[in-house]
Amino acid sequence: MKLSLTRQALVLVALSLLPAVGEAIYFRGKISWQSPIPPSELVSVDQARTWGENVIWVDARPDAEFARDHVPGALSLNEDRWNELLPEFVASWSPGKKVVVYCSAESCDLAREAAERLRKEAQIPDVFVLEGGWEAWLKKNR
Amino acid sequence: MKTHILAFALSITVCLGARAELKFDKTEIELHPTPADKQAVGHFTYQNTGKTPVKFKSVKASCGCTAAQTQKDEVPPGEKGEVTATFNIGDRTGTQVKTVTVETDDHTNPHTVLTLRTIIPQLLEVTPTFVFWKQGDKPDAKPITVKVGKEFTVNNIKVTSSSPDFQTKVEETGKGEFKIDVQPKDTNSNLGTTLTIQPVDSPKLFYATARVTGAPPAPMAPADQKAPAGQAAPVAPTDQKAPVGKTAPSGQTH
Repeated sequence: MKLSLTRQALVLVALSLLPAVGEAIYFRGKISWQSPIPPSELVSVDQARTWGENVIWVDARPDAEFARDHVPGALSLNEDRWNELLPEFVASWSPGKKVVVYCSAESCDLAREAAERLRKEAQIPDVFVLEGGWEAWLKKNR
Repeated sequence: MKTHILAFALSITVCLGARAELKFDKTEIELHPTPADKQAVGHFTYQNTGKTPVKFKSVKASCGCTAAQTQKDEVPPGEKGEVTATFNIGDRTGTQVKTVTVETDDHTNPHTVLTLRTIIPQLLEVTPTFVFWKQGDKPDAKPITVKVGKEFTVNNIKVTSSSPDFQTKVEETGKGEFKIDVQPKDTNSNLGTTLTIQPVDSPKLFYATARVTGAPPAPMAPADQKAPAGQAAPVAPTDQKAPVGKTAPSGQTH
């Protein structure tokens, strides 16, 4: 009886493994296992804080999110109104300043996209993405 | 033993036969809006191929720039419908990939990820979109390159500066390529201008910014490895006035 139960359990496990293996093979190329942002372009809240006032905080979230709350002194720069907001950003920028871009959380890609545009299109150096985004900043500061 | 396995297989078959199943015709759509379009809309059609109704629990877009909605809350067996994903192009460029996650009460497949790939045509590519001089620099002209997108023809461009403190000169440098030379009158004080670039025969506007910035910040003690020595900020940026009149769809990760 005991042996029979073990056998049945093994058969069930084997049956459940079949679709799992199939799914793993089918979705192999579709799963992102790594952050698309290289570590050198990321900055933690603590590290950014040590830069003191030598940093411009850029909020890449939509207007409504920015209006609700944001890092004190942050500038809004989202892709909905990029052309309108970019001149406001560059008016605050000066050579030597670091730029920290954030969106809501680790999983959002708005900060990465905004940072990439600042580097490639505006050719601004020292642009970083905040690790953990707005959520991480909130945890450390409130 | 054989009887048990047979019973198990039978119960699985029965369960599969009675289940609800929402099948999407496509889970990935590619859109090609025109340069004049402000939105791109994807229609993800589906059918409930099961024998019980399917209820939508939530439909969430990965970005505030995308709004997703279902036509109905419940899909009876055999019925068809669609999830509409509306992507607001805004000032975005290039290929934009956004996802919509559909959650239903179908236990066998509770989550479906729909992908909207939008290829935004680029009439003009302006590089760099920002040029600057430090105070005291020689006020030499700096170039901005304007490339016409492969699928477009632009015979000429018109450049307007918002400030008379900067002069611009446009030159055609090759087929589908222009050079804008930007030059400040002097670099003695903080100056700035927005350059509006407009292709002739097109209402679409492109922008670049030119500035004479303040002197580099005074040195401060290096705080860590990443911060280069000899750089600090004179003043923190002032808090921006929050824009009004815009909302983002709820339940999204921005």
